[in-house]
Amino acid sequence: MFRKVLIANRGEIAVRVVRTLREMEIATVAVFSDADRTSLHVRMADEAEWVGPSPSTESYLRIDRILDAARKHRADAIHPGYGFLSENPDFAAACEDAGIVFIGPSAESIRRMGSKTAARHMALAAGVPVVPGAQDALGSVEEARAFGARHGYPLLLKAVAGGGGKGMRRVDADSELESAFRDAASEAERAFRNPDLYVEKLIERPRHIEIQILGDRHGNMIHFGERECSIQRRHQKVMEECPSPLVAVRPGMREAMGEAAIRVARSAGYYNAGTVEFLVDAAGDFHFLEMNTRLQVEHPITELVTGHDLVRLQVEVAAGEKLRLRQEDIAWRGSAIECRIYAEDPYNNFFPSPGRITRLTRPLGPGVRIDGCVYDGWTVPIDYDPLLAKLAVWSGTRASAIARTLRALREYDVAGIRTNITFFRQILEDEQFRQGSLHTRFVDEFLDRRKPFAPPPELESIAALVAAFHDNGRAAPTETGPARRSRWLEIGRDGMLR
Amino acid sequence: MKVSLVVNGAAREVDLDHSEAQIAQAEPGVYSILVDGRSYEARIEQGDGCMVVFIDGHRFEIEVRDPRRWSRKTGQQGAEGRVSVAAPMPGKIVRLLASAGDTVTVGQGLLVVEAMKMQNEIKAPKAGRVVSLPARDGATVAAGEVLATIE
Repeated sequence: MFRKVLIANRGEIAVRVVRTLREMEIATVAVFSDADRTSLHVRMADEAEWVGPSPSTESYLRIDRILDAARKHRADAIHPGYGFLSENPDFAAACEDAGIVFIGPSAESIRRMGSKTAARHMALAAGVPVVPGAQDALGSVEEARAFGARHGYPLLLKAVAGGGGKGMRRVDADSELESAFRDAASEAERAFRNPDLYVEKLIERPRHIEIQILGDRHGNMIHFGERECSIQRRHQKVMEECPSPLVAVRPGMREAMGEAAIRVARSAGYYNAGTVEFLVDAAGDFHFLEMNTRLQVEHPITELVTGHDLVRLQVEVAAGEKLRLRQEDIAWRGSAIECRIYAEDPYNNFFPSPGRITRLTRPLGPGVRIDGCVYDGWTVPIDYDPLLAKLAVWSGTRASAIARTLRALREYDVAGIRTNITFFRQILEDEQFRQGSLHTRFVDEFLDRRKPFAPPPELESIAALVAAFHDNGRAAPTETGPARRSRWLEIGRDGMLR
Repeated sequence: MKVSLVVNGAAREVDLDHSEAQIAQAEPGVYSILVDGRSYEARIEQGDGCMVVFIDGHRFEIEVRDPRRWSRKTGQQGAEGRVSVAAPMPGKIVRLLASAGDTVTVGQGLLVVEAMKMQNEIKAPKAGRVVSLPARDGATVAAGEVLATIE
C-alpha cells in the first residue's frame, strides 16, 4: 500500500480524500495556490506545498508544479479529485512517466472517453444503445439536413470536444439549421479550439441517470447502481439522489444499466472508479451519453446507500490490489439525497456570492453527512467553483429522506455570504419532485411555476420586533420592559462572577 | 417605546414595551424569541443601508426610522434622474457591452463580470444615456463598486 499520497485538488473534494487516507493511515500532501493558504485542505493534510498564484491555470492546472511537489514530498501516488487535471490524459501519463501512481484510469482510457464521438463508437461496439445520431463529426450542414430529413426534428447539434452545454444547439426545424450550425461551431471553436459538431436526435425532457462502476487492474469490474441527476441548472447538477425514483420501481432496470455500463467501460480497457451517464426517455429506455473517467461530485449518496467508501476502493485498486467485492456483495439500502450548497444568491438571479463567512451552523443528527471545506471566518475565494459543501442525507425511504433533508436544511445557517439553501427547501416541497417525476428541464419549469418563498405572516412581526430590539439595544440601552429583562440578568450574573 | 420601521418596503410600528415576546441574545447577532410558548430564532446582518433579518430561511430587509437620529441613508434615487449600477459581487470585468454616451434600453447589457468561473451580464436598470462607465476591461471590482451611471 502507498505510504504517502498527494491530492492534486482543493476545496471539499481534497478534504474528502484526506479523510479516507487518514483512516487508511496513509500520509497526505496538500497543494495550494495563493488564495488557498488557509483553506481547510491545507490545514487538514500532513504536509502541504504551494504550487502557484490564485488562477488555476497557474497553480492547480500546472502539471509540472504538481509533479515537482509530489517528488519533493516523496509521494507514491496522486489522487486527482474531480475537475482540474482529473480528466487530462497528459497528466495521467506524466504521473506514470515520473514513477508516481495516478489514482484513476489509464491515460489511454481517459483519452478514448474524452472524445464524444469515439465514446459513442465504443458504446455501439459494446452493444449498448446510444442516442440516435451521426457516428462521426459532421462534414457540412448538408449532412445535418439529411439527418433531420431521415430522423425528424427536433435534433441536437453538439460539439465533438464538448461539455457543459457549450457548442450545443437545439434545432426544431430545417429552416433553423443553418444559423444554429454556424453558431454552435463558432461557440465550440471558442470554447474548445475545435469547431467539429455531431448531431443527435433530441430526447425531450429526458432523465439523467448514471451508473457508478469500479474495476481493478486484474480484469474485475462491478457496478454500484445508479444515481438520478436530473435536477440541473444551466446544465450543472445541483441535487442528486440514489436510488433513482424511476429505477427503483422498474424491475431489472438497474441490472440492465449496470451491465451496459460495465460493457462500455471494459471496451475502453477501464480500471479504477468511473461513471457512465445515460439519458432515459419517456418510455424508460436508456441511451449512453458519455463516461466520466474520475470520481464524481455526487459519489457520497452511493456510499450512503451501499455502505462502501469509494475513495478507499480507488486507492486500493490503484495500489494493485484485487477487488475483494463481487457484484452480489453490493446491496442498496434506503434512500439518499445530495444538495450542492453553492455560494450564490437565489434572491438575486443566482449571482455568485463570494466573501467572508461570519457564522456557520451546520446540521447534525441522524443520517446527515456534510462534505465541505467551509469554516467560520473563512473567505470564499472568487477564483474557483462556488461549491461550498455537499449535504448528503440518508434515510430508510425516499419520503423520509426528503423530510430529513428538509430538517437538515432548516438547521443549516451560513452568514456573511448568500447560499442556495432555501432554494433546495422549495424544490423538496414541490409536489412534482415528491412524486419523483423528474427530467433535466425540471428546474427551469420549476422556476416558472414556483410560488414565492413567502414567510408565514407571524414571522414578519417577529422580524420587525427583533430588528427594533436590536437597534434599540445598540442605540439606547435602558431597562424599560420585559423584553430586555434577560439582558440585565446576564449583566447581573457577570457582576457576581467578578 | 414605539419604533417605526420599514419591513420589506412596508411601514410598520413596533411597541417594545407592550410586547408579549421574550427576546434573548443567544450568540452575537442571533436572537432567541419566545412568543405564546413558541420558539423562534432570528439572525441579524448589517445590509446595505438597512438591517437584514433571517428567520427560518426567510429574509426581511428592515430599516429603522428613528426621528431622533440622522443616521438614515440618503434614499436611493428611483427610476428618475441618475441611477448608478453597482457591482453585485466582487469579480473581474471580462467584457464591456456599452460605453459612455450610449443610449440604452431597460435590461440592455452594459458589461460582463466574471466571478467564480461564471460570467454574469450586468444590465441597465432603466432606459437612458450612459453618463459614465468607469469600468475597464480586465479590471477587478469590489462588491458595491459603481460600474456605470445612467441618466
